[in-house]
Amino acid sequence: MGLKFTFPSRFVSPLGFLGMLTFVIFIILGITGALLMLYYEPILDRAWDSVKNINDVIPYGFHLRNIHYHASNAMVMVALLHMYYQYFSGRYKIRNEILWVTGIILGVLTILEAFTGYDIIFSERAELAISIAASLTNSIPILGPQMTEAFFGGGFHDFVLRFYAFHVFLLPIAMLGLMVVHFPRFLVFDIPMVMAITGAIMLTGGVFPVDMGLKFDPNVPPGITVPEWYLTGLYSFLRSAYDKFTTGVAWPGLFIFALLIIPFIDRYKKFSWKDRPIITAIGITSLAQIIVTTYWGFYIDPDRTKSLLERLVIDPVFLYLVMILLVPLSFGFTYMMIKLAKNAEANAKIQPKKPTTKSSINLTEKWIYAIFVALLAFQIYLNIAAYYAVLNGMKNYSLFIIGIMMLVFAGMFHIFRHGKSMQKAPPPTPTIPPMPAKAKPPSLTQPVGPEAPQIAANTKVLGDSAAKEKTLAPSAKGSTSSSQSVQSVNKTESASAHSEQKLVSDEKK
Amino acid sequence: MAQRPSPKSGGKVSRRDFIKLMAAAGTVMTFAVFADWGKFLPPPKQQSTERQMVELPDGSQANVNSFPVNHAEAVIFPKTNDPVLNKESFRTWQFIRLPEELGGKKNDASAFRMYSMVCLHLWCLWKYWPQDGRKRGECPCHGSMYDPLTGKAFAGPASLQAPPSNVLPMLDLEITSDGNVWIKPPNWSPNGNGVVGYGRFLT
Repeated sequence: MGLKFTFPSRFVSPLGFLGMLTFVIFIILGITGALLMLYYEPILDRAWDSVKNINDVIPYGFHLRNIHYHASNAMVMVALLHMYYQYFSGRYKIRNEILWVTGIILGVLTILEAFTGYDIIFSERAELAISIAASLTNSIPILGPQMTEAFFGGGFHDFVLRFYAFHVFLLPIAMLGLMVVHFPRFLVFDIPMVMAITGAIMLTGGVFPVDMGLKFDPNVPPGITVPEWYLTGLYSFLRSAYDKFTTGVAWPGLFIFALLIIPFIDRYKKFSWKDRPIITAIGITSLAQIIVTTYWGFYIDPDRTKSLLERLVIDPVFLYLVMILLVPLSFGFTYMMIKLAKNAEANAKIQPKKPTTKSSINLTEKWIYAIFVALLAFQIYLNIAAYYAVLNGMKNYSLFIIGIMMLVFAGMFHIFRHGKSMQKAPPPTPTIPPMPAKAKPPSLTQPVGPEAPQIAANTKVLGDSAAKEKTLAPSAKGSTSSSQSVQSVNKTESASAHSEQKLVSDEKK
Repeated sequence: MAQRPSPKSGGKVSRRDFIKLMAAAGTVMTFAVFADWGKFLPPPKQQSTERQMVELPDGSQANVNSFPVNHAEAVIFPKTNDPVLNKESFRTWQFIRLPEELGGKKNDASAFRMYSMVCLHLWCLWKYWPQDGRKRGECPCHGSMYDPLTGKAFAGPASLQAPPSNVLPMLDLEITSDGNVWIKPPNWSPNGNGVVGYGRFLT
């Protein structure tokens, strides 16, 4: 495997390496999960109690469980963002179909992994989730009941034990195997961003510590519970009708299948979302439907005088009508956005080109030292604060502080990196940037006039060529400030290619 | 893949194709034996051909002469020596002697019913309520109600589920001459005694 790690020497937009961040969160989950395994007992009547023991008694058990829980949510979220970014930027096209397909499978496995994880606590909500999962599997024609027995076993004791086996071994192994195929050759490992994500997870754990839920007791009516947010979309469909197979198996299956085949349907030659209207519109539609159903799955009529069934059941006609209505709305929205974006692009061409006065913060050496000392002092203070918070039993507060500590480290590393690159930096570039070879002549600087349409046509051609260039320079992220290149990928490129990049980044504005 | 020239001699299979076919068949035959290993996955069912006694919570065997009419008890079946497994919802059954109007006075097996206590909706434990006006199984969680005569859900969310998920699994009983109640060896399939937590087809 010709893997190549890149440690960027300056800030890079994290959108381009969300996949790597997903993997980093996976590693965090692996470490915290392995530690939780030391105390968790996958036994029918002890599962919940052992989690309570971890949460309340074991030193730092609370921290690890919270990081594990919030990291699982973060992983699903980042994976989703990663997918949509790749979707709208058309990255799955350059013979990357296999990456896309394995990515979709990885995403499904990620959700299954998170799902099995919150089931093995065996709280009321976990039991609800397990019984829904089993009834959905049962609803599959012909083989359903056999599959339920084979995968779930026959009874709560089996369910807990098997979900545990899936959660800690079978699914992670399958995911690791797929990752080997899924990894592209160039990996960006941005330490500040990694630390910032870790810090954000801990911070969230401190502010919203995850609760235990009530231990499942088959003789006590459970409170109303909803699944985790990545499943409420599916849950809203389940709440709408009683045919479990259609709502719970066929619809999500269709959705996953549609995602799998999208790179083979997308025949546009261009990559930008603006140049692939139908595909973009489909993506926006899916996003709109996901957001609406996710919220709908959460929403339960707060009127307690109504019967439970009345509060829970969603009128299927209403739900499906909204789903259908969202399609033309999203298509209209997409076309409007594309039109606006293209207009803005054309206008930007006509406007006089502003000199690239992108304000970059240039710290002097003295200031870098001063900030370093200040941050270090802050780190020491945070360390003491976190330690005392643990001593006083303020566990979520200490988790919160540790999260801030991670963020401070992220900032520290960024400054360090900045200082290092300043050291190596060549003498400052001249203030007037050299005119790119293909750029328009200065005569075009007047505002909108009678010949504006012609100019627009001209710039359109120009824009197309620039878009073509963009595909060749995969990670040009608005780097206009200096002659130093963003990544090693770009390092070998010639000066003319560099000016092309500049053009691209100007276009983005 | 390179385009292979079409075989010239009619429908004859080329030597190379034949070898490939044999290799594929050999591979299939090598691994065919493992298909049966799939039986590892579902947990083994109680396949005893022996009847088992209906053991009441106090440890005694249910007897037709002493068990009151219009009364129910929770019975563990199949019972194990493992206290954890005996707590398993999927092993708890409601042993009911029907009320008088449904034939509970009779001294044969038709006066008794034994249903899985796992509600078919979301697996809470329902139980039989003998009070006048109720005389039915009720689930505490979402209010599914079961007919004690057939085990069919007639109200609540379980009644809206498609068959077989609207009829409770039921065990067959027999009574010996001394009045003791026994459980006949069950057939765990939707068309037989049913699948716990899934249901049974009403025949």
